[in-house]
Amino acid sequence: MTDPSFVAAVTAFAAAAVRMATPLALAGLGETYSERSGILNIGLEAIMLCGAFAGFIVANLSGNLALGILAAAAAGLTVSLIHAFLSVACGADQTIAGLALNFLASGITSYAFLIRFGKTTKLAQCPVVPPLPIPVLRDIPFFGAVLFRNNIFVYAAFVLVAASAILFRRSEWGTSLDAVGENPRAADSAGIDVARARYAAAAANGLLGGLAGACLTLGSLGFFMENVTSGRGYIALVVVILGRRKPLGVLFAALLLGAADALQFRAQTMGIDIPSQVFIMFPYAATVLVLLFSIGRSSEPSALGQSFDRSRR
Amino acid sequence: MKALRNIASYILIALAAALASALAIKAVGSDLPKAALGFFRGAFGSTYGVSEVLVRATPLILAGLGVSIGFSSGFFNIGAEGQIYMGAAAGTAVGLVLPGLPALLLLPLALLAGAAAGGLWSAVPGFLKARFGLSETINTIMFNYIAVNVIGILVRTVLKDPNYPLPMSPELPEAMSLPILAQGTRLHAGLIVALLAALVVYFLMRETKIGFSMRAVGKNPRAARVAGISVYGNVLLASFLSGALAGTAGIGEVAGLHHKLLEGISPGFGYLAIIVSLLGRNEPAGIVVSSLGIAALQVGAMSMQRQAGVPTSISWIVMGLIVLLILARKRVFRFLLPEAGEEGQ
Repeated sequence: MTDPSFVAAVTAFAAAAVRMATPLALAGLGETYSERSGILNIGLEAIMLCGAFAGFIVANLSGNLALGILAAAAAGLTVSLIHAFLSVACGADQTIAGLALNFLASGITSYAFLIRFGKTTKLAQCPVVPPLPIPVLRDIPFFGAVLFRNNIFVYAAFVLVAASAILFRRSEWGTSLDAVGENPRAADSAGIDVARARYAAAAANGLLGGLAGACLTLGSLGFFMENVTSGRGYIALVVVILGRRKPLGVLFAALLLGAADALQFRAQTMGIDIPSQVFIMFPYAATVLVLLFSIGRSSEPSALGQSFDRSRR
Repeated sequence: MKALRNIASYILIALAAALASALAIKAVGSDLPKAALGFFRGAFGSTYGVSEVLVRATPLILAGLGVSIGFSSGFFNIGAEGQIYMGAAAGTAVGLVLPGLPALLLLPLALLAGAAAGGLWSAVPGFLKARFGLSETINTIMFNYIAVNVIGILVRTVLKDPNYPLPMSPELPEAMSLPILAQGTRLHAGLIVALLAALVVYFLMRETKIGFSMRAVGKNPRAARVAGISVYGNVLLASFLSGALAGTAGIGEVAGLHHKLLEGISPGFGYLAIIVSLLGRNEPAGIVVSSLGIAALQVGAMSMQRQAGVPTSISWIVMGLIVLLILARKRVFRFLLPEAGEEGQ
């Protein structure tokens, strides 16, 4: 067990799992806010993609990573608020609104990317957020390498998960958010502004999803390509269900899927003769199984996906 | 007056989409008249262009009809994409297992197998919704990803062509090809299947008791139950029929175009089918028209890329924008058309 090469391999694997989990945890946490308020936003992919693109393009043009991260959050916020406007103010079907946003985001980001970089053969790059090892903690055996030598996105994910857990459980705002998601009419009678709560939750979703997108382009890749998120927005929806819409649950689900992702890369590089699709399929099949086991004791907010109109009975 | 205002709002949406396209074409530095000419020539300017529009519309009509049956019956089927793949795989398997059959037997058998596979793939989330109340939205999305990966595994293992290094099935027997309708084009008899399906769906949903029951369940499940209509049975049936049409679209693409099973047989037809169904207002005639419209948009965009250097992703921008505007229509145009305030109540 003390074979140093084995320890090194396990450490590298765990560190990779944490890195892969981070965008899923951030986006999943955002969607948790949204879904607990009653808005099912399938447009998470659009939020992440626009965040990834805006972060990349601003960092590429300005060379400033902080500006890039801000732009990513702003782009995610914009997309999410469009979805919220359609869901809350227009009473539109939330799923169709989300799908349409995914189409639009995929189209706009590819198009804008080609306008700016299509004519050059050089790969367009942006700076990457450097790792920020935390003094003392980074020297803890194993955990130091896995957790405390990461970039700001990883730390942000852990801190935001903890903060959200406290917010949901201890604050009045968290309680009223759940009330809006469970029974908007009762919440309305109790004097809670349903629309405002849902917009606020959507804003949190947009900011976090935008950060998740930036985590891809600015946190690890250093470049952008068409549909760079490649379905991670949908996997983040999986994370939310696996985590039962609780911040800590979402974090663990993201780590689990991050580990599965890391394992798939290992298996491929080690030349194991199983089609990679077996691994790629894993989170989706797991989600269906989790939903099956949740029959009868659903953690789903009762009003999830339904619009609320004060003036109607 | 209400109809007039409705039409006015749709015209405004079309104008907004046209304006956005013009801006996008300008932004890429292309010439507007040249791009427009490229677009219309590509989609309507030649027999081949028109035939390509029809080829692309075929799976959209079938899958869009499927989605619409689901929507009218309260089964929110986001899973047409996966059902298309499952239908394609099952039909391909029939062709590979029974290569000696004459076309008259093999083709219908393959189409039925495709329909059955798509239907069953959709009936699983349908059953979970009908029996346990599990939301079909997430389940059908998951089933899409599972199906695409299952096909990825199949074309690398049991259905793989051993003589080729690429992940694809062997060529299917000639007897399993849908006949070509016009010489020199790729237009195949799948279009006829799709149009017939539109007629059948129209009569099923409008003229039969089954259709009435399904629609009643979609409108108000509680009232339907009180009236003695089985919610369970109708949701299950609707989910099966919905998937069966998407499955037919899948095997149609194999038998009409590719003649083998590939990973990329559907470039998002299943997701487009949802837009098709929305734009066609869940009516078969509307679905045929909106399928043709979206197919023309995509074929035209491809030609616009070749002739004026405008990226094809413009078609996704236009579609996304149109759907968003339609969703926001009643709210947004309340300001633009002040009289329309009472509309939609």
